Amino acid sequence: MKNSVPLNGSDQLMRGFDFELRRRGFAGNQCQIILELAARISPEELENRVAALQKEFPMLNARVGGIFKPKWKIPPRVKAVVLVRVFLDEPGLRQKLFNEPLCVKRGVLMRFDLVYHAGAGMDLIFTWAHTLMDATAAEHFLTAVSDENMVLPKTNPQPSGAPKQWPERLELMKKSVAQLDKFCEQQPRSMGVRQLTAPRELQYRVEKFSPEETKTIRANSSRLCGILGDAQFHAAVAALELHRLHQKLGCATKSYILPMPVGLRPKGRIEPLFSNQIDMLMLQFLPEQLGAMEKTVASLKAQTAQALRENAIGYGRKLSELFSFLPLPVYMAVLKHGLKGEICSLFFGDTAAVNPKLENFLGVSVENFTHVAAVTPAPGLGVVFYYFRGELRVTIVHAKTVLRDNEAADFAAAIRNRLLNP
Amino acid sequence: MIPSSEIETELLAFLRRDIFAPETQLDGETDLVAAGFDSMSLVKTLLHVETNYGKWIPESEITNEALASIRALAATVARVLNEK
Repeated sequence: MKNSVPLNGSDQLMRGFDFELRRRGFAGNQCQIILELAARISPEELENRVAALQKEFPMLNARVGGIFKPKWKIPPRVKAVVLVRVFLDEPGLRQKLFNEPLCVKRGVLMRFDLVYHAGAGMDLIFTWAHTLMDATAAEHFLTAVSDENMVLPKTNPQPSGAPKQWPERLELMKKSVAQLDKFCEQQPRSMGVRQLTAPRELQYRVEKFSPEETKTIRANSSRLCGILGDAQFHAAVAALELHRLHQKLGCATKSYILPMPVGLRPKGRIEPLFSNQIDMLMLQFLPEQLGAMEKTVASLKAQTAQALRENAIGYGRKLSELFSFLPLPVYMAVLKHGLKGEICSLFFGDTAAVNPKLENFLGVSVENFTHVAAVTPAPGLGVVFYYFRGELRVTIVHAKTVLRDNEAADFAAAIRNRLLNP
Repeated sequence: MIPSSEIETELLAFLRRDIFAPETQLDGETDLVAAGFDSMSLVKTLLHVETNYGKWIPESEITNEALASIRALAATVARVLNEK
């Protein structure tokens, strides 16, 4: 493997978010996967498995460097420093661990926390820096930790499916700027402007749906958005309830911008693994489009088809690359200026079905699975949808500075109700 | 009248080129959803059909049965395109 690999636009954007979160006093742009295990696993066994992967992939201890062109600097030798910690469960521990930063500058890009319950079970909390990889790749990596016979791809994390020629790149960048300018004609104003006096921490709650409820939600999705329309249905529900929340809290806005992540890996391929292979399909909703579910879905479908017609997927990533030679504070300043201060009204994620191989981890049954992702203020609010063992899960993450606990609980309940009764 | 077999050949070439990784084995019998076909892939495919044949296939036509295989999808597309 080369001793350095470039960061693509998505990686760079994640790095920018990390900078922004830390600048505002939060832990950073880090994600978690939480496995609730039926029995305890040995910390040593886990440590050995991760250490073996770290030796095989020194990328797992890389640091970002490069003055004019940011890149991963991969250490020639890895001492296999695996961060595996053991805790006894206590109230508030999960939130505390989520708000504990990774020392990314020293090449600590992931951490494993084992939380023992009073009974036989335990939680495995896997935290990783979002600059390193996206959630789908993280699921795949965790599968490899569990299954030592699994072979991970050796390819370098180069962007896939992206145009390589500069004229084509510039064309996409121009289109991206034009699209954002158009969006800013109806300037969104996110929840982030509330800035309540609260600790600079992120909090999350998980809504779980039973098999029967999931069946009802899938039937609603199919009826309103057609076959394979789950992500669109989830996005429409999130947009509608965000509008209700804004109304309730008196945060008026001319529009709502919802970035919908789109996987850039060709179907049937997982590599490059240690790289963010996502781009955002930027959707804009005007308040009048958020009166009824049918209107919202119609607008969402029309915007999706139009974006694909114009080959708009890939804009954001190219735009992020445009300024990537700048130092991070300048990069973020340019980006925020371009976005007129704030443009995202809600971070939305839909990772679809969890890799079924993760229903077991190191030979132990996984009882429950949770995805958590950091959100930057603004907007300070994010929703992630995913299925585990065919059951829908929704994680709602918010900055304590943006929403009070009761407001977040009401938002979660409203999403639950809307999914079941659209 | 466009034969379903012609559409199947054309769809297979498009799916191999623009949707799936080259190493993915695709033929007329491939179950699209099981192979990783998602909503974005579906919209891209419908746009491709619109560009090539000049007609948008209504999403109401895209049922579980239509996505059961590439052949079934081609048959659905052919039926809609050949409707007067």
